[in-house]
Amino acid sequence: MDPAPRPRTPQRRTRLIVLAVLVLMAAAAFAIMWRPAIEAQTAVPVFDAATVERGQRLAMVGTCAACHTVDPSRPYAGGFALATPFGTVYSTNITPDARTGIGGWSEAAFTRALREGVSRDGHLLYPAFPYDHYTQLAQDDIRAMYAYFMTRPALEAPAHKNEMTFPFGFRPLVAFWNMLYLKREPWQPVAGQSAEWNRGAYLSVALAHCTACHTPRTKLGGTDFSRHLDGGEAEGWYVPALNEHNPSPVPWTRDHLAEYLRTGIAPDHAVAGGPMQASVENLRLADPKDIDAIATYIHSFLAKAPPRQTRAAVPGSLPAPAADDPDLQRMQLGHAVYANSCARCHEVGRDNTSGAALQLQKAVALYDPDPRSLIHIVRDGIAPPDGEPARWMPAFANILTDEQTGALAAYLRRYGAGQPQWEHIEDQVKKAKQP
Amino acid sequence: MTTYHLRVNGRDHAVDTDPDTPLLYVLRNDLQLNGAKFGCGLGQCGACTVTLGGEAVMSCLVPVSVVGNRAVGTVEGLGTAKAPGVLQQAFIAEQAAQCGYCIAGMMMRAESLLAKNPKPTDAQIRQHMMPNLCRCGTHMRILRAVRRAADALPAKGGKA
Amino acid sequence: MTAGLESPRRRQLLAAAGSLTMVFAVKPAWAQDETPMNKGKLPGSLEKEPWLDAWIRIDADNRITVFTGKAELGQGIKTALLQVAAEELLVAPGRITLVTADTARTPNEGYTAGSHSMQDSGTALRHAAAQVRQILGELAARRFGIGAPAVTVRDGVFQAPDGRRASYGELLAGQQLHLRCNPAIPVRAPEGHTVAGKPLQRIDIPAKVTGGVAYVQDLRLPNMVHGRVVRPPTPGARLLDVDTAAVARLPGVLKVVRDGRFLAVIADGEYRAVKAAAALAKATRWDTPATLPADTRPAPMVRAWPAKPYPILERGVPGSAGRTLAAMYSKPFQLHASIGPSCAVAQLVNGQYTVWTHSQGVYPLRDALSELLGADKATIRCIHTEGSGCYGHNAADDVAADAALLARAFPGRPVRVQWMREDENGWEPFGPAMLTSARATLDGAGKIVDWQYDVWSPPHNTRPGKAGNLLAATHLDKPFKPDTPTPSPQPEGSGDRNAIPYYVLPNARVVHQFQDTIPLRSSALRSLGAYCNVFSIESFMDELAHAANVDPVAFRLRNLADPRAIDVVRAAAKKFGWDSYKNTPRRGRGFAFARYKNLAAFCAIALEVEVARDTGMVRITRAVAAVDCGEVVNPDGVRNQIEGGIIQSASWTLLERIRFDERRILTRDWAQYPILRFNQVPERLEVEIIDRPGQPFLGTGEASQGPTGAAIANAIADACGLRLRDLPLDRARLRAGR
Repeated sequence: MDPAPRPRTPQRRTRLIVLAVLVLMAAAAFAIMWRPAIEAQTAVPVFDAATVERGQRLAMVGTCAACHTVDPSRPYAGGFALATPFGTVYSTNITPDARTGIGGWSEAAFTRALREGVSRDGHLLYPAFPYDHYTQLAQDDIRAMYAYFMTRPALEAPAHKNEMTFPFGFRPLVAFWNMLYLKREPWQPVAGQSAEWNRGAYLSVALAHCTACHTPRTKLGGTDFSRHLDGGEAEGWYVPALNEHNPSPVPWTRDHLAEYLRTGIAPDHAVAGGPMQASVENLRLADPKDIDAIATYIHSFLAKAPPRQTRAAVPGSLPAPAADDPDLQRMQLGHAVYANSCARCHEVGRDNTSGAALQLQKAVALYDPDPRSLIHIVRDGIAPPDGEPARWMPAFANILTDEQTGALAAYLRRYGAGQPQWEHIEDQVKKAKQP
Repeated sequence: MTTYHLRVNGRDHAVDTDPDTPLLYVLRNDLQLNGAKFGCGLGQCGACTVTLGGEAVMSCLVPVSVVGNRAVGTVEGLGTAKAPGVLQQAFIAEQAAQCGYCIAGMMMRAESLLAKNPKPTDAQIRQHMMPNLCRCGTHMRILRAVRRAADALPAKGGKA
Repeated sequence: MTAGLESPRRRQLLAAAGSLTMVFAVKPAWAQDETPMNKGKLPGSLEKEPWLDAWIRIDADNRITVFTGKAELGQGIKTALLQVAAEELLVAPGRITLVTADTARTPNEGYTAGSHSMQDSGTALRHAAAQVRQILGELAARRFGIGAPAVTVRDGVFQAPDGRRASYGELLAGQQLHLRCNPAIPVRAPEGHTVAGKPLQRIDIPAKVTGGVAYVQDLRLPNMVHGRVVRPPTPGARLLDVDTAAVARLPGVLKVVRDGRFLAVIADGEYRAVKAAAALAKATRWDTPATLPADTRPAPMVRAWPAKPYPILERGVPGSAGRTLAAMYSKPFQLHASIGPSCAVAQLVNGQYTVWTHSQGVYPLRDALSELLGADKATIRCIHTEGSGCYGHNAADDVAADAALLARAFPGRPVRVQWMREDENGWEPFGPAMLTSARATLDGAGKIVDWQYDVWSPPHNTRPGKAGNLLAATHLDKPFKPDTPTPSPQPEGSGDRNAIPYYVLPNARVVHQFQDTIPLRSSALRSLGAYCNVFSIESFMDELAHAANVDPVAFRLRNLADPRAIDVVRAAAKKFGWDSYKNTPRRGRGFAFARYKNLAAFCAIALEVEVARDTGMVRITRAVAAVDCGEVVNPDGVRNQIEGGIIQSASWTLLERIRFDERRILTRDWAQYPILRFNQVPERLEVEIIDRPGQPFLGTGEASQGPTGAAIANAIADACGLRLRDLPLDRARLRAGR
């Protein structure tokens, strides 16, 4: 006997609609998140020397080695741990090793990774790899860099497992981030700007990805386009604004900036530390004309910074704290630390050595909105790359206690920079100690 | 001149000196301890390495006024010529010295590793010793001496 | 250099020994008259100092003191000499106290340099000790009234068959043996050695690892004060004015010294001296004209300096037919870079100067100080006190002069002068920049039928003897002028050391283009010209082998005749596994051989490198050395020196270059002048020693520098096809590819 057909109650219909919508959404999500694999190539193409060399110059501007080279004996073998708000991402092996690197990647696969953030086998790459910048590269440039990377010595180095906080370990979620932040538009020069400015703009935006650190990110980790070059953070450091909010006490000239990008030092002005050091190590090997162009572009924003009231123009020793300073005890401790630990190099200096260091009234880190970079510089120092000559500030992490470090930062902010006091200095010192 | 109370190799000392005097000079001139040596005064060579609160530091960079009550350790605290400690025995057994000027600093650098990690790998030892320079080229023996000391220590750790 | 007969102590010794001849009824056969009858050449330094009691004293309480004019530089020479003396005297080494270079106490053996210590002092001590033992044996036999062969000896005590005993001290009864050495006395046969040739732990290491007083830097004398010198900011600087008044008022400052461009402070505390010197530097105004070359690339820079040609080899007939190759190689100025900057303590008390110094030559230093201070040599005593490794003529003599000048300005108290890192890097005498040119012709069978080699080099020896070779002397108001340097003759040579290959070359010409006037001060850096010459010649041999399509080791064997050279080459190749080696990506192997000075130790090196062209990093994965240094006294010491030489040479080769602009030296600290750190030290390093008992000692301390440089260059060429001829082979050069 036939059971009576079940009536289509409104609840049941709602449920069916909801189910249908969910299935559709799942299908849509799947469509968004899933990417096909591109077949591995077996024969490596041949490249002409000029293209390879052009690719090398471009890769220096891209500062690829800053993340993809950890051990200078094993270039591009990956393994660099980048701490992000979403977990720790490890860079991968981009040598042309067939099994553990990109040896099987065709130019199409390489291009897709740079433009769309998709690996050859279809899995999505975390935007710690700044494909949201590389996406605007001209195909010729991608081709040249492909030629460069495919002609590097192949090294065996399997990818290190990432340590992502839940749920970001689920890579396909990145597709949604891409919907918000990956703008698949080709690069457009800006009318009314010089050829050099536009060249610098292209290189900065599409390749050197300056704004990846120098522009703030949203809560979801995307670029906040409304605050171009308004400063950011990287690896626990504050990254300075490069626009009218640039904190530098001494106005940047374009030549200063070009020299800084090429050498890591703007004399009597600034020294590259922390994450910027790795960038400079690459930029100094780029085509100098390209560096000049980037300097021209960036300087067009830096030049908007208004002149400030700072102590930078006041030469000589930093003063003892005023007797009526409301924070006198901490200031006295900070001054003592400064006078006994820092002044030896930062004031008197020793001729022609690393000991002849910047007078701190001029140090950019003192003018940052927060003390993170100063604390890192004091704790970690600034050391030369392996076996290469450079300036060297020693590390004071195990020399100064937390209290001494915090007091030093507070003292320098007030009596070195003459700026409103930073908040939560002690918390920042504690945070800086975490690996 | 101010009086500073320092705890060096487990003993208390009172020293009268200027607040900016680096710990290196205090150890050598006020306390007559020869181990830590002047090599550069810039924290670049490690000849002055001592431990401060258990961490290896360049004593040429530590003004005496920041030491406070943190324990200072020098090579003299590891043992004596008549009763050398584990690390010292290892360096003697391996004849790990040519001119020997860098060796006290090397030993304190190694000590700070072995105190935390009594069973380091060879790669860890090599990496840990990077801040210290040797000009005579005694590196191979220094690595062997640290290895030998590590092998002689109990796994749980103990004073080297 | 005459022996120190004029010293008061020597006169005492002579007086004491005068009584020796009264002890015996008959003059023993081994005694010699004071007038030299035996005109044969005496072994080693005995030639200069033939009297036995200058080398060995035995006191009535059996304490044995052995004297050497050589100095411990960290090469372990004290221990090795102790072994030699102990072996011949038949006592345990611990019984002997060794006194090293002291103008008041020891023989004058010139400089401790050139790897001569075993050849000069070791040989002298061996023969002197052998003769002392023989004399003592005769004395014992006489006392026992028996024939000498019946006497046995053990640990410093002679014994007759009936049990009567006599110790060394009893036999001499406080007299010393003021007798000339008789070279005919035999030394102990190597097969019977119990001390020499055996491992013996170095006597200086225990103090060094436990914080004992071990270095001149550790000297603490009563009432000692501290000096620091403020040097000009550039080599060519002129002093315009200096305000000393404020500096003189700084806490602890006892005196500010000014004599011409020589400026110094003396303070009661070391760090106060450091601060006062910094303040004095700030209070000084200098004119700093450009006096240094505009183009600092070594090859064109060296080529531009005037040179005088000294042909050192002309053999056969030039112009043979065949395939000709030519190449030029260069080396920059390099630093000794002692880890401990130079230090000295000096005092002037009652008209007598005493200088504690790590100078390699206390006697020549004394001569120079005598001239500098205008004081009689007899009023100056220089005592060698160990410093950190010097690796040649570093600032040890200069700081001794500083200390002596400050002692004169502040008499009555010891003055300790410690150079700062910037002082040492800026002012030590540099290892000179050099340029070489090699040209050779190969015949159809791959034999070298013509060879032409030129080496352009500034001086490698501006050591004091003359006051003008002391830095401070050239800065005084009445300055002394530096000596005009001259090339040292072959076979030792200076810039031309090892410029003559050890290979069989029927037609060959070698010219030393000596350059006596350059804008910077240069002097001896370990191995002198050998480093650059062996780097050049052994790189060129590889280039020739490649052109002849012959394996580099086989090519060398083909052209060597000396069997000992052939042995070391084969030993190194075998230990490395040369014949079965297979290249893997980024890796290559290199080989090199040289006999240091063509008369000292033989050394062959095979090594493998891994090259990362993109970053320029070069890693030595594995290095093997084979060395023949004649009879080996302290095998561990030999190993230590060869290992150390390889690592130091790797640092020179891969990293080191003094940089300067037209005015000033730029490489003032380790940040600007990096040297090898633990991450670039070879993964594996093995040394094989070929012992030759009975053969003369051969100097070893500098034997591995030259071959290491070439082996690295050859390995880089093998790894990535890059033939680099300009040192250093640093990261920038590897990245650029030239």
